[in-house]
Amino acid sequence: MNKLILAKLSAALFIVIASFFSFCGFFAQGATNDTAADKLFYQANAAYKESKYDRAIENYEKLIKSGLESPNLYYNLGNSYFKKGEAGKAIVNYERAKRFIPNDSDLKSNYDYAHSSLNLERKPFGNLFEKLADRLFEGATINFLTIFLSVIYVFVIIAFILSLFFGGLKRLILPLIFILISLFILAAVSLQSKITYFNTGAIVISKEAPIKFEPLESATIYFKLTEGNEVEIIEKAENWYKIKRPDGKIGWINKTDLELL
Amino acid sequence: MVKEKELAYSVERIAYRKNSLLLSAIRYSLNAISYSLVFSILFFTSTCFAKDINFEATVDRDKVGLGQSLQINHTFNGTQNMPALELPAIEGFQARYLGPSTRMSIINGRIESSITHIYTLLPIKVGIFKIGPFKFEHNGDTYNSNSISVEVIETAEQSENQPSQEAQPEVKDLNERIFLTMQVKKNKVYLNEVTPVTIKLFVNKLGVRDIQYPQFSHDGLSVGAFEQPKQYQEIVNGISYDVIEFDTRIFGLRQGELRLGEANLQCNLIVKKQIRRQVPSFFDNFFDSDVFDNFLGGYQTYPLNLKSTDIPITILPLPEENKPEGFSGAVGLFDFEAAVTPLEVKVGDPITLKATVRGQGNFNTVTLPVITSGNDFKVYEAQVKQEKTALADGNQTTARWPTAKAFEQVLIPLNAAIKEIPAINFNFFNTQTGKYETITSGAFPIRIVKSEKEEELKIIESKQPVNASFQANGQWLGFHQPKPKEDKLGRDIIYIKDAPGQLRKKGEYLYKNKLFIFFQIIPLLLYLLIAVFQARNRRIKTDIKYARQLLAPKKARSGIRQAKNYLDKGNIQEFYDVLFKTLQEYLGDKFHLPSKGITISVIDEHLRNKNVPEEILISLRDIFRDCDMVRYAASQLREENTRNSLRKIEEIIDYLQRHKV
Repeated sequence: MNKLILAKLSAALFIVIASFFSFCGFFAQGATNDTAADKLFYQANAAYKESKYDRAIENYEKLIKSGLESPNLYYNLGNSYFKKGEAGKAIVNYERAKRFIPNDSDLKSNYDYAHSSLNLERKPFGNLFEKLADRLFEGATINFLTIFLSVIYVFVIIAFILSLFFGGLKRLILPLIFILISLFILAAVSLQSKITYFNTGAIVISKEAPIKFEPLESATIYFKLTEGNEVEIIEKAENWYKIKRPDGKIGWINKTDLELL
Repeated sequence: MVKEKELAYSVERIAYRKNSLLLSAIRYSLNAISYSLVFSILFFTSTCFAKDINFEATVDRDKVGLGQSLQINHTFNGTQNMPALELPAIEGFQARYLGPSTRMSIINGRIESSITHIYTLLPIKVGIFKIGPFKFEHNGDTYNSNSISVEVIETAEQSENQPSQEAQPEVKDLNERIFLTMQVKKNKVYLNEVTPVTIKLFVNKLGVRDIQYPQFSHDGLSVGAFEQPKQYQEIVNGISYDVIEFDTRIFGLRQGELRLGEANLQCNLIVKKQIRRQVPSFFDNFFDSDVFDNFLGGYQTYPLNLKSTDIPITILPLPEENKPEGFSGAVGLFDFEAAVTPLEVKVGDPITLKATVRGQGNFNTVTLPVITSGNDFKVYEAQVKQEKTALADGNQTTARWPTAKAFEQVLIPLNAAIKEIPAINFNFFNTQTGKYETITSGAFPIRIVKSEKEEELKIIESKQPVNASFQANGQWLGFHQPKPKEDKLGRDIIYIKDAPGQLRKKGEYLYKNKLFIFFQIIPLLLYLLIAVFQARNRRIKTDIKYARQLLAPKKARSGIRQAKNYLDKGNIQEFYDVLFKTLQEYLGDKFHLPSKGITISVIDEHLRNKNVPEEILISLRDIFRDCDMVRYAASQLREENTRNSLRKIEEIIDYLQRHKV
């Protein structure tokens, strides 16, 4: 009788997992089929090829404003800005593209080049543990990490269920669960920091931006940031953002000097 | 009784012993862990120290006459914080502690420090004696020194230029008992010519400690670092002095009449306290021994600043006459050699030119041969390495200054027409002859094979003109440092992507998707379900009462179904049989009673205690009565009655299931 139930349960579990994965797959594939949008994209590409970067930017931006996004779109927009001489905005768009295709070699190369053209060095945010987690899952997208976490979670549950039926396996299963949970925590920290970065991260787009002690034009300048520097937004006032540098220095920056990711 | 008590006592003792055994085992293992930890830490640190600090014993001479003194130094390299060792009795000698001397130097950012404790040994008999090895314990670490053998000879045997101490004239003036001298080997030197400077500290029977490196002004001169000071004895005007010699080298930076010095040296003089000198007496001499002074702690230190005389020095300019082209200021006596590897390469492959300048002189102005190649070679910045070995004049002293300079330069041939790397001329000014000299090495014939991939060459070809070039006649232009050249390769961003990729709604992420989050609950629910089910199954297996109660309604339902079947067939007898059996089993299971023994009286009493309403009890009684009537009295009941019985039994079961009875 138990075997029958076990078979039934594993079938149920299989169905759950299978439907879950097909859902994830569907979600990942979840592209819109908008021919008008495609047309706009190709027009922008054509403008880029003719070195008309302003027009290319205009078309790409139009596409983004219509509520659509894709890694290639951000990548091409970044290229257009870079060619136009706005490396800061190029970095913003490369960062956006990185959310989807962090391992794309073209993107990596251009991203690094844009950084080196501004003489910038990337400094990661967060504490040591977050840096470790980030390093471990550097090439993972947000969706990948979400699925990864979910899969680990399902595995943990399966391990728990197995330990219910096969008490003798506990010695094997417990270390497995421990490993899975450690992995889960690391992935969760990385996911959290990625989401935070994409929600609160911003790039300086002015050539040089003064960071002040107070959100006032007349306030004393605390330090200066140059184009392409990454900051974290802590607080938003009317025309000012309170920002934090990777090294922890905090100050106020004029809204127009920044672009949110 | 007594025996019982004894027994109980011994049992207790065994239990106690068991406990204590366990405890002691735990304690033992904990101790073992902590001891091994402490031991390993100690071992580690001690090996560390033993590695870092080295203890060395040296004597100023290994042959000494009776009545003469001998100096023994205990040097600890790698620390300055080491107290003096209380010398054990050394056979054949009387020992006396003079004082410590510390030394610290920083070379290329590496700090070297040492402390030397100086003792004098007075031989008391003739023979060959072994001094040491000395063993010294400090802060839990043990240091071992080498041993030294010293020969003590009769005073008569000593050489004439070493008069015995008794023969020495008494020196009264402090300036004659301790003084500083400075000497320059040559005081007429060429620009950039290196000449040694020796500063000597002379000490006659005085305790001196905290001796610092001497300092001197050197306007227009460049001064090297001091070598490790030498210590020896020297006789001046018949007086034996302990000498500390500091060596360095200087060279002139500009021509003219310059002055070197005066040299300043700071040290502390150790002087006996003069307390008991107020009443001079016969005993004074007796008490005026260091043993008593030491015993009474009678030493005081006085800071002393010693000065030497200054030295005029003339820096001569290098003659303009016969000055070779490409002379870059190398002054001294040098040898030069150069070699090229490999001798056969493809166009675009590197060739290494190795050149070495050896000799004595000022290596600061020896610069590397730079290859200047029109369009034939691409020249990279050379790597320079200086060697410091024993001085060339035969002294075994390890020099602080270089004795050779090696250059390694990479050349890349740019076309296959090149047949050789032209000869290299090394020019220097020989300070001994006062003439310019040129050493030529090469030319080096090479074979260049045409590269298969010549287009690759375009990448490395510099757009800027090469900063050096061969002269038309193929001679090196000379020695000068090339500026670092960086290949400015074309770099740009990679081209845009053709396809838009997967255009999707902005900001849509899986973690925000409600359906996805909902999916996450399912495995957890499944787990809970399985866990509950598993727990229930286990209880059914182990808890009979629970199992009976749990399965009772199920069994009852199937019984009723069976009964209904009989009723439909009109088989009243069977119907009541089954009904009765079902009721009996149900009640038995429900209240965990033997089913066969269930009668109305048993169940009536059981249910009454549990506050079951009267109508249920009446129904029960009715059913039992009906069953009995049909089963035993064979009375025929009407179908209406049978349906009634069926309804009642369903009601009863329903009630008992619903209410916790």
